[in-house]
Amino acid sequence: MCGQASPWRSLPTHQKSRRSIIISDSKFTLRSFVILFVFFLILFLGAYLIQAKDIYNWHWQDIPPVLPVFLKAAVLTLEVSAVSTIVAILIGVIGGLMKISSEPALRLLASVYVESIRNTPLLIQIFIVYFFIATIFNMSAFQAAVFALSVFEGAYVTEIVRAGIQSIPRGQWEAAYSLGMNYFQVMRHIILPQAFRVIIPPLAGQFISLIKDSSLVSVMSLPELTLTGRQINSRIFRPFEVWFTVAALYFVMTTTLSVFTHYLERRMRVNGKST
Amino acid sequence: MVKVHDVHKKFGHLHVLKGVSFEVKKGEVVVIVGPSGAGKSTMLRCINALEKVDGGHIYIEGKDITDRKVDKNRIRAEVGMVFQHFNLFPHLTALENVMLGPVVVKKEPKEKVRELALELLDKVGIKEKAESYPSQLSGGQQQRVAIARALAMKPKVMLFDEPTSALDPEMIKEVLDVMIELAREGMTMIVVSHEMGFAREVATRVIFMDDGRIIEEGPASKIFTNPDHPRTKLFMSKIL
Repeated sequence: MCGQASPWRSLPTHQKSRRSIIISDSKFTLRSFVILFVFFLILFLGAYLIQAKDIYNWHWQDIPPVLPVFLKAAVLTLEVSAVSTIVAILIGVIGGLMKISSEPALRLLASVYVESIRNTPLLIQIFIVYFFIATIFNMSAFQAAVFALSVFEGAYVTEIVRAGIQSIPRGQWEAAYSLGMNYFQVMRHIILPQAFRVIIPPLAGQFISLIKDSSLVSVMSLPELTLTGRQINSRIFRPFEVWFTVAALYFVMTTTLSVFTHYLERRMRVNGKST
Repeated sequence: MVKVHDVHKKFGHLHVLKGVSFEVKKGEVVVIVGPSGAGKSTMLRCINALEKVDGGHIYIEGKDITDRKVDKNRIRAEVGMVFQHFNLFPHLTALENVMLGPVVVKKEPKEKVRELALELLDKVGIKEKAESYPSQLSGGQQQRVAIARALAMKPKVMLFDEPTSALDPEMIKEVLDVMIELAREGMTMIVVSHEMGFAREVATRVIFMDDGRIIEEGPASKIFTNPDHPRTKLFMSKIL
């Protein structure tokens, strides 16, 4: 209800904030800089020794010429992930509604789907899709990749949607029903708009991990970031430089997205008033 | 208007309603009192088809709503309900809360409904809060929006489920005043509440329920001060 400041509540809050000062609000001191300096010194020396002792010769200069190829592959990775996420959300909304349905058969089907997907390795699912389903339906590599990833992701989104819908108090259903709305009207106007707010953060988290999981579809001969890394490496044979670059590109994609998600969450918290 | 005949309701092994019968005529204001667990709220929820009855019949304007063939949503659209915890839609403004029913259920044009909604908010005394979200309103204000929301469907009967028991004391009067005004305008009302003042002022009848049954009913003055049944006497001696 309405947030009145109670004098009784100020005491524990005060204690909590004191504790958090000790843990997270402490400042960088000279000691911190020394620790970081030593760490990077060791790292640099290690790299230097590898070079000096002729164990490995750094050839970072070989990367810029192939960078455009990497960037193109990264775009493909993003495309596969984005399209898969959209399909996964469709699957997840349907699955989530099935999971809370009053019809036991629908609940069972949704549970079987979620459990069988979540309890088998994604790589195996990709093999099944690539060598079996994609062959039967004559799918392109891109279609097969989207198929595998969205079916995989859909299982997780199903659980997120179910939890989001069930987090809406029963009183909301009752109030909406008492106005004479039917199930679909209640869902559309009352439950889903509120559940959406709960769902967004975990959904964004899933999308981010999907970008990483999509590296597995490289086995489908889809020239996304990981497969491109392998191809370029076999051409210029610079494994450290290539895989560091690939990792960095994944890192940039995922962190950009998570920063964007935090921004989105903060904006929704300002706009969305909840009791 | 509303006729309840021998209604039974069970939650698992718990027999909550054990054959409840009563009738409410058009324009009547009936107040239901009784100890917690007596089945008052369940009774009310059955009238709005939020609970399915396990036996007996409930008629609203002659239509048997316990009949499976009857469209429950159409029944509910004609019965307004106000809840203990308001249950406003937190993602909508006060005005949108009031407008939603007619727009979605009756498919009435938004402009027309907007006028009606503003009129209703004015009637419950919070027109100036039309653009506020529920979380920005006090409990009393929220409950008045909830009453306006129910009224927007132009219901034939209004059900109130302990409308003031979740409110801070200083906000109870503002909600009761709205309800009293509504009663004086001739609205048919069934109210589960222990507000004696309200019952004395507008109730045509008071029903005392205990343990899933109606123990006795009569005018407020009689039930509150001079009941026949010992259980009613005991209850009144505790709450007065």
